[in-house]
Amino acid sequence: MNIIYKHIIRFLVFTLLQALVLNQLNLGFGIHLMIQPLFIMLLPFDLTVIALMGIAFLMGALIDIFSNTYGLYTSSLVLLAYLRPIVFKLYGPREGYDPLKEPTANVMGASWFSLVFGILLGLHTFWFFLLEIFEIGRLGFILQKTILSGIFSFLFALLIQSFILNNKQKK
Amino acid sequence: MVEKSSQNEGTHSLSTETKLGRITTFVFMRNLIAFLQRFRIFLVFAVLQILALFWYVTFLSFPRNQFLTTNNQIAIQLLEWEHSITKHFNLSENNTKLQWENIYWRKRQPQFMYQLSRKSFKINDTLFEQQYTYIPAEIINSSVTRQNNYFTINIGEAQGIKRGMGVFCHEGVVGIIHYASAHYALVKTVLTSDINIDVNIHMKKTDLPGLLIWDGKDPRYGIITGINNDLKVKRWSKVETRGGSGIFPKGLPVGKVSYTEPIEGQALWKVEIRFAADYRRLQRVYVIKNLHLAEQTNLEARIPTDD
Repeated sequence: MNIIYKHIIRFLVFTLLQALVLNQLNLGFGIHLMIQPLFIMLLPFDLTVIALMGIAFLMGALIDIFSNTYGLYTSSLVLLAYLRPIVFKLYGPREGYDPLKEPTANVMGASWFSLVFGILLGLHTFWFFLLEIFEIGRLGFILQKTILSGIFSFLFALLIQSFILNNKQKK
Repeated sequence: MVEKSSQNEGTHSLSTETKLGRITTFVFMRNLIAFLQRFRIFLVFAVLQILALFWYVTFLSFPRNQFLTTNNQIAIQLLEWEHSITKHFNLSENNTKLQWENIYWRKRQPQFMYQLSRKSFKINDTLFEQQYTYIPAEIINSSVTRQNNYFTINIGEAQGIKRGMGVFCHEGVVGIIHYASAHYALVKTVLTSDINIDVNIHMKKTDLPGLLIWDGKDPRYGIITGINNDLKVKRWSKVETRGGSGIFPKGLPVGKVSYTEPIEGQALWKVEIRFAADYRRLQRVYVIKNLHLAEQTNLEARIPTDD
């Protein structure tokens, strides 16, 4: 399958999954599942930062339109796209990344993926809840939501990768 | 720099001031371009981030850019499809509730009651004039997990919905209309941090007035502020709307007091209430139209202001 079509389909599926399914779930304890960071994470290595941020802005705006959140998803996704190359550079191989490879767990290794995606997801989730609650006095609640949502979103992302995206590559 | 100054040596007619000015402008422009090139990525990031935050902050204060919310055509169509599936999830429960509500009102119909006094029985009374009308609506998009939760309902300006009208369900208060488009409306629910509905805690001897807010933690519990601690608030006392601002009629149920705690350093109670309605499963609501609202606001506009 052409790589562009693959990413366009992923874009639509992830956006609709987040907007119509995950945003309607109420799991309690402040857990809020987020799958859209995984899409930005899985975009190809050789995409420029500006293109990344443009895609992130579009995706965030779409999710915002569906869930009446007015710029909350947009802001946090643009931040994620801006930070992605910086974190990639920090934990990358010395000679740089191979642009033919994909930044997934089974191509780049589970430890690399967990580290990089964990950092990015943590920062993204923290910014998201900081903006949503918008009160420094309730930092404890922000951290509780960040940590719980971060852990569950991370596990959910791993699950989706190993079950759905993995099968696609074998074909 | 060196080349530039040698070029400028030829133009003796210019005064030293203009020459210096030109050189500074040139250096400034060159530095600016170099700066822009170096921080291009950061600048794009900043612009996108400012756009998103501007969108976020402006909507919270006043909805000026509604075309980007769920009142948008395509988004509304998709949400309608989603709703056509998910509305069946709680169908039997909702039907039972509607049935009970029907029984409740049916019992109060005059024609189903035994007439004790044959003289003083009148349905169209001249003593009571209707003040509130209710318009039924269905929730097609909702959230309860955010800090500020808005519901989308399937009626709008075509049905006479305006910003500021009250919304309630069979069990209790739901919220206030935040914005109405032609066929849909956004409800700012009691699950927002600055909803500030005026409520009464119903006690044996007196009613305590307070303001209802939400702390964003649990969609089952709300908080009432402004309760003085000179009276002890009993647990499970009823909380109802006060009806002072004309949005809600007096005595609409809100919830019951579940927990009280003194606030340190202030003569106030922190009162937590359990909402009467379960907002996580809500599907059908009513919008309240106050027929006397214009009269009330006109009258209250005559209150002299202190200058």
